[in-house]
Amino acid sequence: MFWKRQVPIFIVALIGSITLFGWFIDQPDVKEFIGDDATQWFDVLASFAIILGALNLIKLQIQKVLYQKPGWQYSVIAVLGFIFAIVAGFFVKGVDDSVAQWGAHVTSDGTLFKWMFDYVFSPMSATMFSLLAFFVASASYRAFRIRNFEATLLLVSGIIIMVGRVPIGGVISSWFIMYLIVLGLGIYVNSIKKDTKVTFVFVAVGVSLVTIGGIISGWPVDQPGIFYLPSIQEWIYYYPNVAGARAIMIGIGLGIFATSIRYILGIERSYIGE
Amino acid sequence: MTNIEKVFLKIGSIDRRWIFIIIALVVVVPLLVPIGLPIRATDTSKSVYDAVEALPKGSKVLLSIEYSPSTKPENHPMAISMMRHLFRNNHKVYVTCLWPDGQFMAQDALNQVAVGEFDKKYGEDYVLLGYRPGGEAVVKGIVSNIRKLFSVDARQTKVDDIPMMDEITNFKDFDFLFSASAGYPGTIEWVQYAADPTGVPMSSGVTSIQVNEVMPYVQSGQMVGVLAGMPGAAEYESLIGQKGSATSGMDAQSVAHLVIVLFIVLGNISYFIDRKRSRKY
Repeated sequence: MFWKRQVPIFIVALIGSITLFGWFIDQPDVKEFIGDDATQWFDVLASFAIILGALNLIKLQIQKVLYQKPGWQYSVIAVLGFIFAIVAGFFVKGVDDSVAQWGAHVTSDGTLFKWMFDYVFSPMSATMFSLLAFFVASASYRAFRIRNFEATLLLVSGIIIMVGRVPIGGVISSWFIMYLIVLGLGIYVNSIKKDTKVTFVFVAVGVSLVTIGGIISGWPVDQPGIFYLPSIQEWIYYYPNVAGARAIMIGIGLGIFATSIRYILGIERSYIGE
Repeated sequence: MTNIEKVFLKIGSIDRRWIFIIIALVVVVPLLVPIGLPIRATDTSKSVYDAVEALPKGSKVLLSIEYSPSTKPENHPMAISMMRHLFRNNHKVYVTCLWPDGQFMAQDALNQVAVGEFDKKYGEDYVLLGYRPGGEAVVKGIVSNIRKLFSVDARQTKVDDIPMMDEITNFKDFDFLFSASAGYPGTIEWVQYAADPTGVPMSSGVTSIQVNEVMPYVQSGQMVGVLAGMPGAAEYESLIGQKGSATSGMDAQSVAHLVIVLFIVLGNISYFIDRKRSRKY
């Protein structure tokens, strides 16, 4: 129990304290440890973690095949793919040493590993990711509903970003957007007043004002800027979005700090299975 | 219920496979028959371009590749355009990868640009240091001593034998950093552990979904602009005056976005009609 519990906690507390408080200690050895040695230790451990991860993957997939759990057929393909990658990476280069040495062969043209990456991994990876476009389209069609004020705000911002980010947003005139706003407000007025005459007058006045403004200014596509989609989307990115992102980042930062302290003090012990 | 309402209700309950077919068509058709929509560079993209233009000739630029084939259509045009810009201005390019797949992407881009277009010499004009595991620890390692982390490059050549590595010991020896990133570890780790503590200017090209996360660093000045997704890549292609795959992809993306917006509008009309009908009965 001593080796499995107290020793790991002591190591974590010691290394954690040195790397945290080392920033405040003006001593070359400590600074070198934090900036150099500790990161190299991490690199070495990360390399071993890759081996552990690979072994864990193969163990789980083999178990799934042996016990014939649901979807075990896919696990057979996973195991075969794993073995193929190992063979291509460590045993069969596919070219002479003059073309590529061991190690460099993984990215060299003509090798088995590069073939696997180009013609198996890349297409499958791209296919999985591109499926998102279809699911996003389907999901936005079904789930993006104007249910309340917050949902409306999200929907309008989403539409502005989607159209304003792409070149087609740049060719949509700000005057067209103003006409749309007038019509949208007309619907809102109609839902409140429930009077066709009032709605008609409101829309007619709005459309006339926009038209007069357009004629006077010569219908510039990007003026007034507050109705030009690319300008609005940039404003959304720069201000409301940054404000929200900063709040999240500060929250995450505080969370990391609290968790680190818990590790150093030995309160957080999930890494030893507690 | 009027006929129009019935039509909208029918549209509201459309099988999703029809949506998939429509999306496939609106993506494929503009790729085959380009519309040629004008590309307008945003301020954030212009900042990246200006920062690279302002570098004196022969500057040492670290180019970090952290994306995989899944986001290749977004990130790869950025990396290629950036390489074109750097090689055209005769800068020295040092390529590292925080993602294992990044090394393949980097090799692909270097073969196309450095070898195919500019006939640059490996080890003198550019070097591919390759991938090292460890995420932010690799970034910290580069900041403190790159030679301890990279004793050999991606070709297994000793770093000491590479002429352009002579003047490089740590991150401060670089004049500029550009990170082509698709997630963790990537741009944010470069800002937090490298660019901000050392004061070396950096910029980045990220996927559209990442823009929210990196925008605070752009606004605070910790990053010099950002290339935001495929539109950002297309803008950079237009800024350097060499169109590529991002520009041709923008027509498809434009039409696809418009169609998705149309779906959202139709879905909402159908929702309101359905809600009105439910209240009535």
